[in-house]
Order: sequence, then C-alpha cells, then structure tokens
Amino acid sequence: MQLSSEEAARALAAIQTSRDAMRSAIRAHRGHYHLWMWGLIWIAMAMLAEFRGPAGVRLFPWLSLGGVAGSFVLGFIQGSQIRMPVDKRFLGVLAAVIFFAALWPLVLRAPADNQAIFAYLGLVVMLCYIIAGIWFDTYLLWLGLVMTALILVGLFCFTGIFWWWIAVFGGGPLIATGFYVRYFWQ
Amino acid sequence: MPELDPVIHQPVRLQIMAALSHLAPREQVDFTYLKTKLALTDGNLGAHLATIEQAGYIAIEKTFIARKPKTFVALTAAGRRAFAEHVAALTLILHPQHRS
Repeated sequence: MQLSSEEAARALAAIQTSRDAMRSAIRAHRGHYHLWMWGLIWIAMAMLAEFRGPAGVRLFPWLSLGGVAGSFVLGFIQGSQIRMPVDKRFLGVLAAVIFFAALWPLVLRAPADNQAIFAYLGLVVMLCYIIAGIWFDTYLLWLGLVMTALILVGLFCFTGIFWWWIAVFGGGPLIATGFYVRYFWQ
Repeated sequence: MPELDPVIHQPVRLQIMAALSHLAPREQVDFTYLKTKLALTDGNLGAHLATIEQAGYIAIEKTFIARKPKTFVALTAAGRRAFAEHVAALTLILHPQHRS
C-alpha cells in the first residue's frame, strides 16, 4: 500500500479521535461511583456513631447492605457496556480473605469495642482493595495502603475523635480518589 | 520495517481498531455501546467487525445478560500487534527520518 503524507496524517488524526472517544467512555466506567457511594456511607456511619452512639452503630449492617446492593447494581449496569471477564482465581482469593477475616475474631476471642470492630472491618476491606489493585488497577493498591495507615493512626492515636477521624480521613479519601479516578486517571 | 495493513486501513475499521486498542488487554466492549460511541449503524459496524474477526484481530463473544442477548467485542493479541504496526507505518510516512 502506498500513502501520501497527507493521507497518513488524516489516518492518524482519525485514530486519535477514536481513541479519545473510547478514553472518555472508559473513564465513565472506572470505579468512581463505587468510591463516592462508599465514601458517603463511611461518613454516614461515623456520624451516626458519633452522635447516636450504640443506636447509630446498630444501623451499620443496614448501611453496609445498602452499599453492597448499590455496588451490585452499578456493577451490573457498567458491566453491560464495558467489562472484563471475571478471573475465578481473583474471586477465590477474595473469598479466602473474607472467610479467614471472619474466622480471626472467633479464634482470638478478643473483646472489641465499636471502634475496633469498625477499624477491623475497614482493614479487611482495604486488604481486598490492595489485592484488586495488584490484580487490576494500581490506584486501588495505593488507596488501600493509604487508607490502612489512616485507619490505624485513627485507632491508636486519635481514639477520642476516632469517628470524626474516620469521617474525614476514611470517607474523605474514598470520595477524593473517586474524583481523581474520574477526571485525572489515564 | 512496519507495513500498512489493508484490513485495518479502511476508515471505519481503522476507527474500530483505534477504539478497541484503548481497552485493557482483557477488556470487552458491548456492540451497541461501541456503535453509539463511534456513531455507526448496526449493519455497518457488524459487517466491518466480521471482516476484522476473519483476520483474527478481534474476538466476538455472544452471551445473555438478564435474558437479553449481548455481543461483546475485544481486540486479540494479534490485533493489538497489527494495529501497533499499522500506526508505526503511518508515523513513518509522516516522519521518514525515523526510519532506521
């Protein structure tokens, strides 16, 4: 095939236009909706615990269930447009992590307060983020590592303001990462 | 020396390959979604996908989601290589001084 430099330039411009269209489509399918939703849920949980005490903490499972249902709906909608076939080994690793995470408190028989339980569950979720980050998208890895550090700092150094800490440095980074992924992540 | 690929060079197929090349290696895109993003018709997109599939550059998977038939399209490793070579050949025409 023989092409002039003008034809080659036109073809390269067409390629760029197509790639730009797909780039914006892919950006709309990143995990930012999940991050925004879970960030708001973390803030809601922390504020319920802060202002309503144990009665607020009793609402945590319902908020979590709502979040899981929301994530499923979002995943279903997004997966019907752009999807990555589910790797069964990844699901196996996640199932193993969740199974052992559920076992450890029973084995240790540790008395735990609401803050420790929240921190423990948060750390388990962050471990899942880190695994997903290693497997798929590195922003999840970094988010998992930073959030793990923030949760531990809040639990051990800021017990008195733990729930405020979680609202600002737990929910906040989730929402901020959602914006970063939506608008800046390539 | 990279060479132009006549299968890819046709304008619509070039558009399709460029869009698919932006997906991650195992990612797939829905036929209807791709059609909307590239502003093509069903028949046009279907015919060109069939040509590209024959060349082994894309994989087409037909499945059901919520009992509705869905067609997903993804670039194969051979397609990714062929597209990269095609782009390199176009770039060389524009910048012949890069020829080694």
